[in-house]
Amino acid sequence: MMVDIDLSQPPFSLLDESGKARVSKGVDLGYFDNEEIILDAGQPGEFVFIIHKGEVAELDSTLPGDQGRIGHYSAGDLFGAISIINGKSRYRFKAEQETLCYLLPKALFEQLCEAYPAFAEFFRQTLANKTRLLIEQRNEGGMTMAGFMLASIADCMRPPLIVGEATTVAQAAAALDDSHADSVLIQAAGRFGMVTKTDLLNALVLEGLDKGSPVLGIAQFTLVSAKPGDYLFQALVSMTRHKVSRVVVLENETPVGVVELTDVLSYFSSRSYMVSLEVEQADDLDALAVASARLPELVKALMAQGVRLRFVMDLLAALNGRIVNKAFQFIVAPPYQAQCCLLVMGSEGRGEQILKTDQDNALILADGSDWPDCAADMQRLTETLIKLGYPPCPGNIMVSNPGWVKSESAWRETITHWAAKRDGASLMNLAIMLDAHAVAGDATLLEGLRAHLFECCTRDELLLSYFARAALSFSTPLTLFGTLKKPEHGIDIKKGGIFPIVHGVRTLALERRIQPTSTLARLEALAEEGRLERDFAEDLGEALSLFAELRLQQQLARLEGRQKSEEPNRVVVQSLSSLERDLLREALGIVKSFKQRLSHRFHLEY
Amino acid sequence: MLRSIRRAADRRRQADGQYGWLFNPYTGDEMVSIDCETTGLDPKTAELVSVAAVRIKEGRVLISDSLDLRLQCPESLSGDSIKIHGLRGIDLDGGETLDEALEKLLDFIGNRPLLGWCIDFDLAVINRHLRPRFGFDLPNACLDMVNVYRREVRRTRPDLEPDLRFEAMAKALGVPVMGRHTALGDAVTTALMYVRLKNGSRRAS
Repeated sequence: MMVDIDLSQPPFSLLDESGKARVSKGVDLGYFDNEEIILDAGQPGEFVFIIHKGEVAELDSTLPGDQGRIGHYSAGDLFGAISIINGKSRYRFKAEQETLCYLLPKALFEQLCEAYPAFAEFFRQTLANKTRLLIEQRNEGGMTMAGFMLASIADCMRPPLIVGEATTVAQAAAALDDSHADSVLIQAAGRFGMVTKTDLLNALVLEGLDKGSPVLGIAQFTLVSAKPGDYLFQALVSMTRHKVSRVVVLENETPVGVVELTDVLSYFSSRSYMVSLEVEQADDLDALAVASARLPELVKALMAQGVRLRFVMDLLAALNGRIVNKAFQFIVAPPYQAQCCLLVMGSEGRGEQILKTDQDNALILADGSDWPDCAADMQRLTETLIKLGYPPCPGNIMVSNPGWVKSESAWRETITHWAAKRDGASLMNLAIMLDAHAVAGDATLLEGLRAHLFECCTRDELLLSYFARAALSFSTPLTLFGTLKKPEHGIDIKKGGIFPIVHGVRTLALERRIQPTSTLARLEALAEEGRLERDFAEDLGEALSLFAELRLQQQLARLEGRQKSEEPNRVVVQSLSSLERDLLREALGIVKSFKQRLSHRFHLEY
Repeated sequence: MLRSIRRAADRRRQADGQYGWLFNPYTGDEMVSIDCETTGLDPKTAELVSVAAVRIKEGRVLISDSLDLRLQCPESLSGDSIKIHGLRGIDLDGGETLDEALEKLLDFIGNRPLLGWCIDFDLAVINRHLRPRFGFDLPNACLDMVNVYRREVRRTRPDLEPDLRFEAMAKALGVPVMGRHTALGDAVTTALMYVRLKNGSRRAS
């Protein structure tokens, strides 16, 4: 009765009833005056502090002024555990208000750690693991659906039906019928090709092939493949992207299974596939607009089911890409489609757009192309996209603007010019171009241009340093935690969290000539190259997902009209749960150390 | 005056008894905050319903090792007091006998100084039961939180007339009221008020 700690929150939720009772019975109360130092750097940790009332700052006294602020804790938060584990405190904890804390003695804490390994593990965990905890907690109840969504391919694949290269069409058909399968794999010269029932039907009926002819002739050898450990969700994404209904599961280049679209569908009975089907089947703009308008609903459903944000992003990027691609095909006559390449840029190019934001797009025309109505067509494309729910770009970075429709060689010149000029606008344009992703037309045009961009920039240290500087332009809002005069102002999650990560990673990708455009894929590639430690890269990715998720919650709330704020990027810290706050604090800490690395690498200290 | 004479007499009588050590001067750095819930407000007739005590050490309130005793239902338990402390007859089933409770209380507080909010009332009720059974009054040094607070307000804000009601004091000191009208809750809140005041003046000096 005397102990008012929320034991249903991690880390205490990791204890059983008797463990929780030991906490309630074992804590004392401590009172600290404003400005009082609760635990100083270098002091041995004697207690875990759980704040009942008040606010505490975590300070690194070796750094001057506000830079030294590592974290901020308020009611419900916990600190001091790490100091006990490490033997002494690394930083200074100072009360910023009169503060009342529950004190969990060291001995009891150590006994609990010993008796409950999961509890002990909590304090050693990286951000990635803590986020998982948060998700698990949110999904108690909805857990089964999330379990489905996070099922791996191995859970859902069927064994492959493999036949030799001498197999005839009739034998293949018999084999398919015997095993109730839809597709058969042909092994020929160490490679594998696929023949589906539809292929057989077309070959026999449309092309009039003889029953006795070898099936090898109609096999498809470019396979859309996946690994058994991949998420089932990713299989769905690649099916959407490649417009096929099955993927082959390869392990060490050998097929170990096939995942059929129908199988995946039995897992995802929800509307996610329905929306992508609607997008595929739309044969006019109106139908496409209807499908497109259902995307926010899909996002909400997926989030409610606890699907991890990065998979939602992947799926949405694929769907948005298909929608833009369709619109392009409706408007641009086929002969011109091969002569140009439509790019989406900014967050859309990085595949990080979840709800529709401004359209950022551009067009590359092949050199020597002949397309008299290009400007009019592009004007219509922009207008169509507005109708489909993509608002116009306030900076006018759209294909309706002739400045963003250029021939390949003109683009090269422009990029060279931007790289040489290095002023604010040029750097921003370079950043936008660097995130470009081809959604329609001839993608090789973009590849050539990107190679040129890397050529212009990667060896220019000065340019890289100018480029990187933008990542530091907004301070990390750790200091603002809880101490805001008007808490409803919140902290700007985009400036404080998302932008520094995205731009910093983009800079490193530019330096290392990394092709992928999504921040998570870039991080993966940077870790692969050894440019970033894997742990750090994972934490950065996790931090980004967390920020994006918090922002998404705000945006969804705004869509539903629950929140009227004009500032979708502001997160009100006080409205978060203490675990969310803990995660946010940690994520912002990671952003801060990433910025320090950047400023060290690109000499931005002065 | 009367109290000190009584204490001297008690002390001589108890010198070789089981509780003689209670009369030794205290040398440690702990205090004990106590509170009682009773059946009435008149110290001459009120019976004990529950007694709680919690130690204060180095600015911490040791709630993990506190004493919280419920007594067997006294005859005078009436509707009026139940409305305040919320302990009905049935809640006191299985409670301690007065003898056991007082023995536990003596063991817990030892010769430490006592703290309480309007402690004279609690002392009067306890002593009324203690003397017939053990032959002495509580010999401990006593501190009344009301006096401590009044002195502090006089010193820092002589222009103010202090509001000495329990809740008002807690609010003025920024201390949350923990479990009001339970013996342990009031004892802990009083302890927190004390720690808060001592902390503040320690830093000021």
